[in-house]
Amino acid sequence: MIKRYDLIVVGAGPAGLSAAIEAAKNGLKPIVFDENAKPGGQLFKQIHKFFGSKEHKAKIRGFNIGDELLREASENGVEVVLNATVIGLYDGKEVTVKIGEEILHYKGDSVLIATGASENMVTFKGWTTPGVIGAGAAQTMMNLHHIKPGNKVLMLGSGNVGLVVSYQLMQAGCEVVALVDAAPRIGGYGVHAAKIARCGVPFYLSHTIVEVTGAEAVNGVTIAKLDENFKFIEGTEKTFEVDTVCVAVGLSPMSQLLKQAGCEMKDTPGGFVPVCDDSGATSIPGIYAAGDVAGIEEASSAMIEGRMSGARIANYLGYLDEDALQARLAELEQALSSLRKGMFAPENRGKLVTKTEEGIDTSMSLLEKGYVADDEIEKYPGVTKGSGVHPVIECTQNIPCNPCQDACPKGCISIGSNITSLPVVKGDVACIGCGMCVASCSGQAIFLVEDDIGDGYGTVTLPYEFLPLPEVGQKGIALGRDGKEVCKAEVINVRSSTAFDHTHLLTMKVSTDMVMKARFFKAE
Amino acid sequence: MERIQTHPILGDSPKGKLVSFTYDGQVLQGIEGEPISAALRVAGVMTHRYTKKRHEPRGVFCAIGRCTDCVMVVNGMPNIRTCITPLEEGMDVRTQYGASDKREEATL
Amino acid sequence: MIDIQEKLKEIGPYVEAADDDVLVCRCEEVTKGEIRQAVHAGMFTMEEIRRYLRSGMGLCQGQTCGKLVKGIVARELKVSPLEIEPATSRAPMRPTEMRIMAQDGGGANE
Repeated sequence: MIKRYDLIVVGAGPAGLSAAIEAAKNGLKPIVFDENAKPGGQLFKQIHKFFGSKEHKAKIRGFNIGDELLREASENGVEVVLNATVIGLYDGKEVTVKIGEEILHYKGDSVLIATGASENMVTFKGWTTPGVIGAGAAQTMMNLHHIKPGNKVLMLGSGNVGLVVSYQLMQAGCEVVALVDAAPRIGGYGVHAAKIARCGVPFYLSHTIVEVTGAEAVNGVTIAKLDENFKFIEGTEKTFEVDTVCVAVGLSPMSQLLKQAGCEMKDTPGGFVPVCDDSGATSIPGIYAAGDVAGIEEASSAMIEGRMSGARIANYLGYLDEDALQARLAELEQALSSLRKGMFAPENRGKLVTKTEEGIDTSMSLLEKGYVADDEIEKYPGVTKGSGVHPVIECTQNIPCNPCQDACPKGCISIGSNITSLPVVKGDVACIGCGMCVASCSGQAIFLVEDDIGDGYGTVTLPYEFLPLPEVGQKGIALGRDGKEVCKAEVINVRSSTAFDHTHLLTMKVSTDMVMKARFFKAE
Repeated sequence: MERIQTHPILGDSPKGKLVSFTYDGQVLQGIEGEPISAALRVAGVMTHRYTKKRHEPRGVFCAIGRCTDCVMVVNGMPNIRTCITPLEEGMDVRTQYGASDKREEATL
Repeated sequence: MIDIQEKLKEIGPYVEAADDDVLVCRCEEVTKGEIRQAVHAGMFTMEEIRRYLRSGMGLCQGQTCGKLVKGIVARELKVSPLEIEPATSRAPMRPTEMRIMAQDGGGANE
């Protein structure tokens, strides 16, 4: 007996679940298969706050978005079958699923493939040694299974995954000895780079791994600088004693099921993807694709793409009329297009953007070393001086993100209607020092600065997400944006609140002339 | 490698039930339901298998059941992906040589 | 249609490289050198390389090495990886024991 469903979804990640929810809301009965033991795809490994605006669930951490999605799925009667591996897809919209010790066949009036992506790899001498792992593996170990992947780690890859996972490694208590990338410039968001650079992690751009050593397990790694032809420059080798090497060199769509079914495919620099329209319809009527399998993007975009496919499928099966579909698609399309704007928009991939939308020069120091240089920072509109406590917003790239503008109860911060504009601090509004902006910034790029509290001291309030949490009165060292020692510092306040969602606000006292340089606190 | 007791964002790690299992005959402990590979890593075991041709050590690489580098012989069955197989009380986990738990097979 | 003999002349003979002994296919233990030599033996598509060397035919089914092999073949042929004919995609997509394959619940035409 073949079981039939209105919609079969393969993959219970952000795209698949969103599509199933949207379809179910329109009256369809979807079933979702996932090979993993838990639903949510990669969302439950993502412990950072998301970018975007309210409609993209900005400033909410990935795993909390995952919980929301699961709740919504269950409320709408979406059936999710776990430990169910789809091993084949045939053009009659039939899937074969391995569940337990059996292979079962299901037929869908429609099928949505939302299988996501797999990690790319690079080869180097010793890359098969135990202790060399994918960045995804590191995330899985620390955020799902609560174990440290290693004690001393070198990260290869400076895209958002490499940057975010490096930060997460430090949060898990690991030491990140270096971040290395063969490219001459950092690939991910500058704010993600800056938050690890100020903790003292050195960046080695135009470098890659020569060799990993260790017979039974990794005990070291040697990197070297590359020339313009990507050949090692002799004499530039550096060796680090590490037990783990983490590789984060991009993702590829896992599109094999679509190819097997006979969907028209195309090979692109971003991977082998199905040819499909905006709502994920492939060349085979009734077979759809959404999320990373259709082209690598963020989870935020995957969720919108899923909704679009879900609506489109509801229309295909007669549950949603054409006008209602178009209205829904237009709404979702707008949300999606705002995420695809700015310096990291798909059309800018790999390009060097030398000026912001506001016409300010891009910080080359940020792109090459991971931090904005002290003499560059004041060019940006979020960085202002004032008497009394005031926000300093070190947001220097046009990325689609705006939670800071809603965070301030006094309306100090403005981004405007263009979501990628750099935030501006309004000089005429009084800051009350509540810190909501500091905690709301997914890039952890907002600081509260007070130049003068008397006796030659000022204060800097910074977002702090590590353990142990420093205590009031604790003395230590203030680190600069480059992670180097700036001056002595003393913790004078630590604020924690459910509204801050695990981002603590640490206020340190530093000498007045250092308030625009000190950006991290290191206990002595 | 250590377990993370308290995480700045995720809070206290869940306390599971401790179970015993054997790794190449040696009794180890882990948390019931966690991947076998997690319990092994905590015990300091990095090498899960030796390859068939070059007899090289391999361990966890992708941790999500894709790469199959972490396979071991579990309860007599070879090629078990330890990164996605939940740990159970009394499991017999052995290093895999080629496709078996006999060192000789990989060296033939 | 590529003229294999012409193409082989164009790319010249196989020259040993320092990193030829680096493994590319982790499952079947196929090296970069073996893949490069296969190209010079006239195998230009992913399908041919797979069948000849077994790269991508092991437990993981080419999930890790697929893109790497393609890159090596492309470099050897001096073309873009986008021009390399991809391998066939067929079920099962994940390693499945024969005894489970035998427990097939039934086909579409039953």
